Amino acid sequence: MIKRRVQYELAKRVVGPFITSLDQWKSKQRQKKRKPRASEFGPPLQTIGKLKEIMTKHYLEGRYADGAVPVAWVTSGFPSEILRPFDFHVVYPENHAAVCAARKQVPQISEPIEMQGFSRDLCSYARTDMGNALITNTPVGRLPKPDLLCCCTNICQTVMYWYRWLADYYNVPLILIDTPFIYGAMKDHHIEYISDQLEELMVIAERVSKKHIDREVYTNILNLAGEGCQLWGECLETGQAKPSPWTGFDTFFHIAPIVAIRGTEECNAYYRMLRDELKDRISKGIGGIKNEQYRLLWDNLPMWFNVAEFATMFAEKGFNFVCATYSNAWAEAKDLLTPEDPFGSCAEAYARVYLNRDMKNRLETMKEMATAFDVDGAVLHSDRSCKPYSVGQIDVKRKFAEDLGIKSIVLEADHGDQRLYSKEQGETRLQAFMESFSE
Amino acid sequence: MSKPVGIGVDIGSTTWKAVVIDKSGKILAKKIESSDPLIERQTNRALAELREMAGAPDDIPVGATGYGRKQVKATKVLTEITCHAKGAFYNTKSSCVLIDIGGQDTKVIYIGERGEVTDFAMNDKCAAGTGRFLEVILGRLKVDFEDIEQRINSVEKSILISSTCTVFAESEVVSLLAQGKDVNQIVKGLHDSLSTRVLALAGNLTANIPIYMSGGVAHNPAMVRALTTTSGKTINVLPEPQLIGALGAALSVL
Amino acid sequence: MRNSYIESQKAEHNRKVLAVLPIFYPKEILTAMNILAVEVWGPPGPPISADVGRIQTYVCPVVRNAFAFFEGGGADKVDGILFPHTCDSIQGLSGLVADFSSWKKEVFNFVHPKGEYRASTAKYLKKEFTDLAKNLERLTGKPLEIEALKDAITLHQKIEALQGKIAENRPCIDMSDMELYTVLRQGEYLWPEDYLAKLKEIEEKIESAPVQKGIPIIVSGIVPEPMSIFEKLTEAGAYVIADDYAALGRRLIKHDEAVNSDPYETMVKRYFSVAPCSTRSANMDLRRDHLLALAKKTGARGLIIHNIKFCEPEMFDAPLIRKHFQDNDISVLYMESELETELSGQTVTRLEAFVEMASSSRSSK
Repeated sequence: MIKRRVQYELAKRVVGPFITSLDQWKSKQRQKKRKPRASEFGPPLQTIGKLKEIMTKHYLEGRYADGAVPVAWVTSGFPSEILRPFDFHVVYPENHAAVCAARKQVPQISEPIEMQGFSRDLCSYARTDMGNALITNTPVGRLPKPDLLCCCTNICQTVMYWYRWLADYYNVPLILIDTPFIYGAMKDHHIEYISDQLEELMVIAERVSKKHIDREVYTNILNLAGEGCQLWGECLETGQAKPSPWTGFDTFFHIAPIVAIRGTEECNAYYRMLRDELKDRISKGIGGIKNEQYRLLWDNLPMWFNVAEFATMFAEKGFNFVCATYSNAWAEAKDLLTPEDPFGSCAEAYARVYLNRDMKNRLETMKEMATAFDVDGAVLHSDRSCKPYSVGQIDVKRKFAEDLGIKSIVLEADHGDQRLYSKEQGETRLQAFMESFSE
Repeated sequence: MSKPVGIGVDIGSTTWKAVVIDKSGKILAKKIESSDPLIERQTNRALAELREMAGAPDDIPVGATGYGRKQVKATKVLTEITCHAKGAFYNTKSSCVLIDIGGQDTKVIYIGERGEVTDFAMNDKCAAGTGRFLEVILGRLKVDFEDIEQRINSVEKSILISSTCTVFAESEVVSLLAQGKDVNQIVKGLHDSLSTRVLALAGNLTANIPIYMSGGVAHNPAMVRALTTTSGKTINVLPEPQLIGALGAALSVL
Repeated sequence: MRNSYIESQKAEHNRKVLAVLPIFYPKEILTAMNILAVEVWGPPGPPISADVGRIQTYVCPVVRNAFAFFEGGGADKVDGILFPHTCDSIQGLSGLVADFSSWKKEVFNFVHPKGEYRASTAKYLKKEFTDLAKNLERLTGKPLEIEALKDAITLHQKIEALQGKIAENRPCIDMSDMELYTVLRQGEYLWPEDYLAKLKEIEEKIESAPVQKGIPIIVSGIVPEPMSIFEKLTEAGAYVIADDYAALGRRLIKHDEAVNSDPYETMVKRYFSVAPCSTRSANMDLRRDHLLALAKKTGARGLIIHNIKFCEPEMFDAPLIRKHFQDNDISVLYMESELETELSGQTVTRLEAFVEMASSSRSSK
């Protein structure tokens, strides 16, 4: 037990940063030897090195976490600030599934779970995570086993079906934070319900972590979390510049800290660094792509398995994604988290997340975004794994055209499983869409 | 020749098959032809020809199975799952798993110690796990059936097709050819893709239960080898693999 | 047939009519407010308008068909639509109908809690009930009366008692599955008192000894569509001894305590007394154990999981239920419906093979 704890702390504080530094040094050596390549993109963001360091450390310490510290697996929309003082090592299966998808490994990870009879029509994040339980090695090494599962239905109901499988498989308690869906305006008894559930969560967290905490610690955590969301929002806003200093695809990666380490000084320091770099690029006229002619909005999750290919395909024709509803989700909480009322404000902030609001409300947000970022068109990724995000997109396309004069394309694909995307057919449609701008 | 005592007919959507058996279940005569949409007419004509071949009287019982089973006058009508299990068990005499890959459907049947069906899975909504998948793509590649084994043996690597749908898989193959990829590697990949799909249907195959294969696609040795390699287990092809269903139907009227 | 019934209910009894989407909603509140509920399970068959294309093909046919139905004028006779918050797809459907469709009449939501019973859940549910009742005043023009709610609960308890009795005595009822379920499904649109009368007719058919001869099986799923599944099972030599359809057996409330002086307290208890459902539950053991207990109690020799294509919550549960049953030597068939009008030849083959398998299974020896 103590040995395990030592391994965990070493991994976190020494080995992780060492490996990243080594990696960066090697990378610099390679760059010196290589001739510079012609590219449609502007120079890469320097801050990405820091991001790699943070995430490497996170996954490396994860390998030693079980047996050392209590481990909690958490959904991306879960009010993790409430968990933070219990010192759980927190794992985000969705983030891990995205990494697996980016390495194009979802088909083979999903295979053992499909062999057990689970349909390929199920969400590819869930299949990746469930399949991961049955195999020994994942692209990040291995995930520590959970002592506690925490799911919040504000992003979808599917997490409840997925996490109850996990609870059954790992035989550990499941905390469910049920956030009632918002049709129109939010209701008081909804906020009260969530707040009550957070109190119930405390009892279980204390039991599993064997730690009692003083509620005063939340003041600092919430201040940090609110600040983090604010900073992330500032980073995203830089996309309004012409040219935008980065691409929408960049934002899909830089979002990792606000999801995984929200409420920490490390997270906020990261986004200050990123914001300053982006502002610097704006002052120098450096764009995320070299030749920004058309500005696009991306709706829904990314297609993790071909982000680089897509970015290149669009950049080659002068198209940049300057904003994305997916990335924007985390900036919205900035005004809602108030340290004076940690439970009530968390309840409200987490209930109001983008995906927990009705289509009418989301369309308003999309329109504001499209206007603020002055987009010429939109790609609406019709993600078959994500029904809360996808149902209604066909009407969004119509409304964008009618109300804003913006043309869009609905692209049927998936965020994780490349078998569910017909590459030939998809690319033909996208090429045609891009060609239609120069007519 | 021993006395004919029963007839089994398996009316599939691609092929029409029938056998005449003696009381030990041995096949005395057989007939395989392409399916005709006019099922009753074909069955009457073909059964008459078969009876003549076997010297079988008109009144011996007939068991019917297959998609067209209800359209003919038969003593007994059973689904092809139950009949394949009977036909397989006659040969194996032990509990086993049967993988039957036909023209338009694929079945995996778990057979118990008494020859009874304990579980089954069918892939009959989508062509991508059936013989039709191979037929369409090999047709597009202009590859002859006789050449398959030699082509596959000539290469080490395979190029896997990722499309779930047969029609889109065809587009994918055309695109690969346009990129100058090796036809033989694609042919190998097709067999590997199909075997992965079939084994996914089979689910978890436990170590000590023997696996057998039937159906028209069992005549393709490359397919048998692909299944063997992908599963890591021995796959035995039953004798007269296309007639297993008809045999089972005949056995059911004994 | 339904349309003329709806018209007579409005004309003769001055009732308002609500179309209701699956699955769980407080029918007692509607009854107390003189509102007729007409459930929309599909409807089955090809979608009645091209608006079906506004919802992607990977969404379940219940939602797609319902949208086409509303846009095509199929629900024009009703006064409003009620959407329980059953799943992600119905969640999206509600917003589309309320804000993006040609439907200009009322839309109500019942955002019921998920997960097992907790103090927080009970408190919230009670408020959601009262909130719904308040909102329904927009339809009726007057508030819900507490005494009327108590009476409504008592009436529904009578219905449930009969439903329970019929379920317990299924082997002794001389009706085919098709006949029986056709009547049982009338509960989806009949006024409760009319439904009670229909159930009493079935009660009279309960014999003193079992009359059903076929192999008993249980069916779990969303809704029995196409209904011809019952005919095919009968032809194959089986009958449904009990069901866990979301439209039927799964919603059977088992609560016969006297109504509390605060009927909303009773309503909360009743909500938690139904069978576990994949759309609401966070605990797999409860569902598995419930279904196995049902099979063992009734002596069922097989289970059919009759899901609807793309129904995610059920797809998560099915493989675990299947394994549990197979570990207990009970055959399982998994089949999917797309709300088609007739079963395909392939599906019929599967049903027949399943019955052949169940009749020769070890558990029958």
